[in-house]
Amino acid sequence: MSQFEVYSPEGLRMDGRRWNELRRFETSINTHSHAADGSSYLEQGNNKIITLVKGPTEPALRSQLDQTKATLSISVNVTKFSKFERSKSTGNTKNERRILEMQTALVRTFEKNLMLNLYPRTIIDIEIHVLQQDGGILGSLINGITLACIDAGIAMYDYISGVSIGLYDTTPLLDVNSLEEAAMSCVTLGVVGKSEKLSLLQVEDKIPLDRLENVLAIGIAGAHRIRDLMDTALRAHAEKRVLNASKR
Amino acid sequence: MSTPVIAPRKKRLSEGLTVTQKVFIRSRNGGATKIIREHYLRSDIPCLSKSCSQCQSIVVPDAKNELPNFVLSEDPQKLASLGKHYVVVDTNIVLLAIDLLENPDCFFDVIVPQIVLDEVRNKSYPVYTRLRTLCRDSDDKKRFIVFHNEFNEKTFVDRLPNETINDRNDRAIRKTCEWYADHLKSYGINIVLVTNDRLNREAAKKETKEENYTTRSLFKYADMLPNADEIKELIPNLDNFSDSSDILIDEKSDATFPDYYSTSRVMGGLRSGGLYQGNIQISEYNFLEGTVSLPRFSKPVLVVGQKNLNRAFNSDQVVVELLPESEWKAPSSLTLDSEHFDINDNPDAQGDDGDFTGEGTTAVVSDKQRRLLAKEAILAQKSKKIQPTAKVVSITRRSWRQYVGQITPSSVDEKINGIQNVFVILMDKCLPKIRIRTRRAQELLGKRIVISIDSWPANHKYPLGHFVRDLGDVESTEAETEALLLEHDVEYRPFSKKVLECLPSEGHDWKAPVQLDNADELAKDPLLAKRRDLRDKLICSIDPPGCVDIDDALHAKKLPNGNYEVGVHIADVTHFVKTGTALDGEGASRGTSVYLVDKRIDMLPMLLGTDLCSLKPYVDRFAFSVIWELDQDANIVNVDFMKSVIKSREAFSYEQAQLRIDDPNQTDELTLGMRALLQLSIKLKQKRLDSGALNLASPEVKVHMDSETADPGEVEIKKLLATNSLVEEFMLLANISVARKIFDAFPQTAMLRRHAAPPSTNFETLNEMLQKRKNMHISLESSKALADSLDRCVDPKDEYFNTLVRIMSTRCMMAAQYFYSGAYSYADFKHYGLAVDIYTHFTSPIRRYCDVVAHRQLAGAIGYEPLSLEHRDKHKMDMICKNINRKHRNAQFAGRASIEYYVGQVMRNNESIETGYVIKVFNNGVVVLVPKFGVEGLIRVENLTDDVEGAVFDEVEFKLTFKPKGAAKTRDVYVFQKVDVQVKSVLDPVTSKRKAELLLV
Repeated sequence: MSQFEVYSPEGLRMDGRRWNELRRFETSINTHSHAADGSSYLEQGNNKIITLVKGPTEPALRSQLDQTKATLSISVNVTKFSKFERSKSTGNTKNERRILEMQTALVRTFEKNLMLNLYPRTIIDIEIHVLQQDGGILGSLINGITLACIDAGIAMYDYISGVSIGLYDTTPLLDVNSLEEAAMSCVTLGVVGKSEKLSLLQVEDKIPLDRLENVLAIGIAGAHRIRDLMDTALRAHAEKRVLNASKR
Repeated sequence: MSTPVIAPRKKRLSEGLTVTQKVFIRSRNGGATKIIREHYLRSDIPCLSKSCSQCQSIVVPDAKNELPNFVLSEDPQKLASLGKHYVVVDTNIVLLAIDLLENPDCFFDVIVPQIVLDEVRNKSYPVYTRLRTLCRDSDDKKRFIVFHNEFNEKTFVDRLPNETINDRNDRAIRKTCEWYADHLKSYGINIVLVTNDRLNREAAKKETKEENYTTRSLFKYADMLPNADEIKELIPNLDNFSDSSDILIDEKSDATFPDYYSTSRVMGGLRSGGLYQGNIQISEYNFLEGTVSLPRFSKPVLVVGQKNLNRAFNSDQVVVELLPESEWKAPSSLTLDSEHFDINDNPDAQGDDGDFTGEGTTAVVSDKQRRLLAKEAILAQKSKKIQPTAKVVSITRRSWRQYVGQITPSSVDEKINGIQNVFVILMDKCLPKIRIRTRRAQELLGKRIVISIDSWPANHKYPLGHFVRDLGDVESTEAETEALLLEHDVEYRPFSKKVLECLPSEGHDWKAPVQLDNADELAKDPLLAKRRDLRDKLICSIDPPGCVDIDDALHAKKLPNGNYEVGVHIADVTHFVKTGTALDGEGASRGTSVYLVDKRIDMLPMLLGTDLCSLKPYVDRFAFSVIWELDQDANIVNVDFMKSVIKSREAFSYEQAQLRIDDPNQTDELTLGMRALLQLSIKLKQKRLDSGALNLASPEVKVHMDSETADPGEVEIKKLLATNSLVEEFMLLANISVARKIFDAFPQTAMLRRHAAPPSTNFETLNEMLQKRKNMHISLESSKALADSLDRCVDPKDEYFNTLVRIMSTRCMMAAQYFYSGAYSYADFKHYGLAVDIYTHFTSPIRRYCDVVAHRQLAGAIGYEPLSLEHRDKHKMDMICKNINRKHRNAQFAGRASIEYYVGQVMRNNESIETGYVIKVFNNGVVVLVPKFGVEGLIRVENLTDDVEGAVFDEVEFKLTFKPKGAAKTRDVYVFQKVDVQVKSVLDPVTSKRKAELLLV
């Protein structure tokens, strides 16, 4: 049993948010300008994520070469110190089932949104480092990738914003943290721009079908807010860069 | 456990929302972990006072678009010295005095800071639940609210360097008081912080220069109330001690009980295997002997003696350590009860009377030796009569609740009019006397009272408690009924307003729609379209006479192909009781209806139970129907489940139904149907018995009440008619069919009922007795073997002997239990007593909550309506099962206790000589069962003979030899012996309990 009330009758969550509030959302763009073609650093609550995009570039292996479109490869590195207790696993975490699943989900989410056909015979390599995690990690990864891809200048149709929603009894809770994630079943959404199109819908555990609509509604609204936050951050960053460029 | 690291930064996110980090270090298993969590501070947390004009504008709606209720009154209680005031309580007050907070005569308009709620939740979850209930249900009268001080930016406090977490939390409470006082100053409402912590009160004085709020100790606050005298009585005992100056308890009298081991020592011991954890069960015959069932040992481990029990209460969760082999014993063959033990103790004495300080210094045993000891112990259990013994070294969870008892007259000093210490003997004889302080001792003599236990310090021989309320005179029906309901934890208060609001607004005028395809009705209830109209079927119900909550009805019809169509129709309770409503919550927590001799405590409100759901004759009612096609030999050809609307043609009593079936002149279709049902039921029963269903017995009797005076008239042993078993067989069939269906649809969470096979150890003593005395044996290979061997246990000279063996075997059985299907593997679903592989309860949803769940799951399984998440979640199902198992057991005990009480009342008027059977033989007495009254009683050696020392107990032969009073020759009493006993009812002067007293003739 958790130490605190997950959602109090007064309508407050364990960390003091209300049901429809996002966590703190802060981004920096082009953080690793020398190491990668596009990069971003994202803090969504206590999730801290570095995303590096390399490419489009010539693939090192022939097998990665596709004559019609670019190959998208995403690798997620969850650092051993990302949780409160240091991960004890000795082997390579990259081959963990959970991580592999996450990578596949991410590739599927972005395959259709990036205009890969513009870059045939190349590879776009996305590398993610999770420095700290606190629930709803997949949603945050999506946001990080969106920002880094835009920074890399890869053509895409629209923003994709990710967010996790939990269902506590009958109340949907937006943007769950790790305590909440452990206490209830959650849905992760990837929403395309300001539309109601989903590029990712992942349900862990079970959600009653009659509640799913509710959950999706608040999730999409939350994702739209995240899109706006990313948009503002990007525009501010762009302005600064244009200013810097004109100074030179 | 944790220390602050650095003062965290705060960052403003938007208007009214700031984020900061909670950083602390958690140490667990010797390692340290730094924990960082986000913590959002906001400005939209209202004070919830009706008089406040600012907070109304800041509130925001929740997910259901509802605004918070402003609860605190604009005109709160006014006291001379405090003026109009709201009360803020701290954690200790809640933990100590939750009873007082719940009292309807004091504590109005109480603010519970969130930090207090969290602390309470961590310390005691039951108290937390009670506090939350209080906040939820106390809108108009008590007015309790939770104020989220931790999330309010104005009341949040950072932890200072070197400040302990407790000091920080106390400061947070004070900050809350300060904010409230400031906030409500202009409305003339004061804030009183009630805390027993002196340092906290002093700090409050120091911090706030203008003293905008006041602090009081619980005792001082209660003192100021208009009804101070009554309220002060109810303050927990502990409090008076620690607050007054006579706290310096005689330090010399310390070593009464050994101290409990430290937490780390217990944790270490449990891990290394030197200590064991389990629930302690105090013997009902000897209150100084307990047993702890441990998974490692085949038999329970004994805990003998006050010192080894070390303040454990019945059913506490305890940690025990094995004693050296030299102290192992066989279970005592003595009987002892606390009522007659140490009656002369003085309640004012602080503690030891020297009688158990003698033993105590056990040699230090190393861990390795301890493990060896455990091996020995397991071996000893297998081979010898001697059992390993253990001592309690720690109590992990107390089972303390409120208890009913009465003050012992001998402990009251009639000359004192002020406060005095008195002993209270509890109804439950497994428990020790409780010492309470009261000024109303004389007034309360001869009354049943409710007390609550506060503590049991090591230097007190008896636990300390305080008076809660008085139920009325001993032996008055109201007091006794209420006492036994309280003792068995049966919720008997009337249904709350919130629950009653869930009932259909039409009340008794509710009618099933005449036409199922009527557009208006369909608009009201779209599910109506899925209901089947079965009003043309000739349905009738058969119940005990005078039954008003009719759960079930039946019909049968011969089909053209020679098979029978048989329908069981069960009241459609779930049409009215939807998940998530207050009504459902109340039903789930009550779990079952409780039947007492003169009273019925309903699980669901009367309107549903006896009218809208009850399948009364001549009216349309909603039902959940199971319809089979059965062939001539009662094999199931086909089964179908549906929600339906039915019209019962007649409500029979068992006798009426029997008469109608037996009457050859009746040849109408209804009677033909009933005859068919009877024929089929006989075949069903035979099939069941063939596959090994048990036919057990209980000494149950029924008390007839005089209809005019409501005095108990006579006692009657329950009779069974063929029609009883008619109904029973079809209910079993329905339950089995439904169990299969819901298990099929919800393999992980189906609500089922199982009955485990009894372990052979349970039957050891009984078999030994049978072997020795009658040269008979009960075999346990299978339920079939058991049933057959029971049939063979016949004494040609004594008809009742077989029943007696059945009664005694019943007591060796495991209890059947409710469970969800994910909890056991399919092989363990078996119902041993009924000899079926899967079983559930489906047929009495009016009086059992299991059936309500089964109904919902069946409705989900047939696609009538989607099953709510509540019944698809293992965790939630686990909670439901645990609760209904407990409530079911309590209800049975309460029912039996009620019969026992009334039988006592009946016997009071007619003393007689009856036939009894000896069922147990002890060193100092025998237990005799009197079938006519269904009572059993202990006859002590003292009452059998003048020469107590001369009585000889033969353990092997189950024989007690003694010289009867006034007789020259000795007499032997064996187990199973038929004896004549004089039965009379006596009022025990010490306990003022009426008991059947038996005397051998």
